[in-house]
Amino acid sequence: MSQPGIQISDLSVEFAGGDADPVTAVSGVSQEIDAHRFVSIVGPSGCGKSTLLNVVAGLQQPTAGSIMIDGKPVTGPDRRIGLVFQEDSTLPWKTTTDNVAFGMRILGVAKRDQQRRAQEMIDLVGLQGFEQSYPAMLSGGMRQRVALARTLAQQPSVLLMDEPFAALDQQTRILLGAEVRRIWRQTKQTVLFVTHDLSEAILMSQQVWVMSYRPGRIIDVIDVDLPDDRDASVVSTPAFNELQNRIWSTLQQEAMRGFVAESTAA
Amino acid sequence: MESTVAAPVKTESPHTPTPVPGRRRKRPSTGLLSAVCTFGLLVLGCLFWHLGSALAWWSPATIPPLTEVTPALVEILGSGEFWGDAGRTGFEIAIAFVGGGAFGLLVGIGFWKAPTIGRVFEPYLVSFYAVPLVLFYPVMIVIVGINQWSVIILASIMAGIPMALNTWVGLSGLPPVYLKLARSLGCNPRQTMFEVALPAAAPFIVAGLRLAVVYALIGAVAMEFVTASAGLGFRIRYLYESFDTVEMFVYVLVVLAMSLALTFLLSVAERALLRGRAGR
Ligand SMILES: Nc1ncnc2c1ncn2[C@@H]1O[C@H](COP(=O)(O)OP(=O)(O)OP(=O)(O)O)[C@@H](O)[C@H]1O
Ligand SMILES: [Mg+2]
Repeated sequence: MSQPGIQISDLSVEFAGGDADPVTAVSGVSQEIDAHRFVSIVGPSGCGKSTLLNVVAGLQQPTAGSIMIDGKPVTGPDRRIGLVFQEDSTLPWKTTTDNVAFGMRILGVAKRDQQRRAQEMIDLVGLQGFEQSYPAMLSGGMRQRVALARTLAQQPSVLLMDEPFAALDQQTRILLGAEVRRIWRQTKQTVLFVTHDLSEAILMSQQVWVMSYRPGRIIDVIDVDLPDDRDASVVSTPAFNELQNRIWSTLQQEAMRGFVAESTAA
Repeated sequence: MESTVAAPVKTESPHTPTPVPGRRRKRPSTGLLSAVCTFGLLVLGCLFWHLGSALAWWSPATIPPLTEVTPALVEILGSGEFWGDAGRTGFEIAIAFVGGGAFGLLVGIGFWKAPTIGRVFEPYLVSFYAVPLVLFYPVMIVIVGINQWSVIILASIMAGIPMALNTWVGLSGLPPVYLKLARSLGCNPRQTMFEVALPAAAPFIVAGLRLAVVYALIGAVAMEFVTASAGLGFRIRYLYESFDTVEMFVYVLVVLAMSLALTFLLSVAERALLRGRAGR
């Protein structure tokens, strides 16, 4: 049944660090995600989550190891990969429609398809009626929807999201998280989702990876066997609590270790 | 450096109220209001001028009465000499604005592309800005001879420096996520520059353009005033030296009107270029 989605083999990333000691951000990570699955990464701050995602996206060269997407290697920025950033990446001089079409324009999608697909994606993320609005007129959550629509319009087979809701308030996060899940169940991309919010990770994904403090390794892999059509109410179920406790007990030690390392280094 | 870079005001809040689309055209009324205000101010100013002359608050040698200036204005506007001067000055301003602006833009982009060079040269650029460039006039004469090109070159430099600084500041302040987006989409260098970097820096570049036009005008008129043998600046000095206050005032008014018109044009262009952005 399972096709390969993302294959990470023996991946290490080291930063030279100038006159300071070199930093090993990612060390010996080997993981696989089957196509169409939704995986989240949690880990203490500075452990190398963003670095790992950048390498998978082809934006950064690994020191060692390799990445395969759908069975083919990633060598650089790649149109099979769609990224959603933590920061607001909507372009303020473009309307919603033009923002959503921007990725397709750069990728050279035909003009007619651009318009049609942009409208489909705007409908999908629930921004009907705001096609001609500029980002300045949209709320933070709506801008993140625009960015999501732009990425989806590129029709990537893999979706990488680096804390896409971190800049939003709690309610918007929960709403947008549910939206992303709904959209994913419809489009079925392979998703790698970075967050530092445990319940968000459990709520959204089928599997959670826990990353250690530097050097960043995957130290625990937890399958989330909650119902596929779960909603925010699962947070009060015993199963959810059990998962949260398990992840937290691993994460806590790492967070502590990171905290101590950081404060002795300072 | 603050004085040379007009930073556009950025009002950002994550919870901008979301208006119903299609119901957001409030501009004409504010435009009309400002036009009415401008007209009102003009009338008030003329009234004050007339009153001051009539009640002898100042001597006619200091400020000639409106009643004398108006017919002189009409007469001068009909003379070939005026249009010769105005044409020459207008040409100088236009070339200085376009040439200096384009050069400044390129320098700003270059500084951004090569940050080391930018860091090394930026202080010189800023201090060059503070030098009264008219001092270089003798050098200019030696290089280009006694003609309007010396005025144009110096005015271009004056227009180019704020343009370069603004472009550079705008580009270096780009949110890194825009460049990351460009990279992840596989933009080529041309696309990154024209589809992402320059539009993103546009508020700063447009502010630079506004400064450039003002400095081109100041540079051209001031340089003419001191050095040239034709042009509006020269004419003002000439009339001043021959004690023809009335005509001199006409020319001063013309230069004022010109700078107002240029500023207005630029603000219209600014609104068009920065459509849809916060606060516009
Ligand atoms: N370009 C770089 N040069 C040197 N060191 C870097 C660079 N980028 C990241 N690092 C270091 O690598 C480590 C991992 O960084 P990374 O941004 O991947 O962490 P993260 O898990 O995403 O953290 P956060 O939760 O704060 O986003 C950090 O210690 C960071 O200081
Ligand atoms: Mg990060």
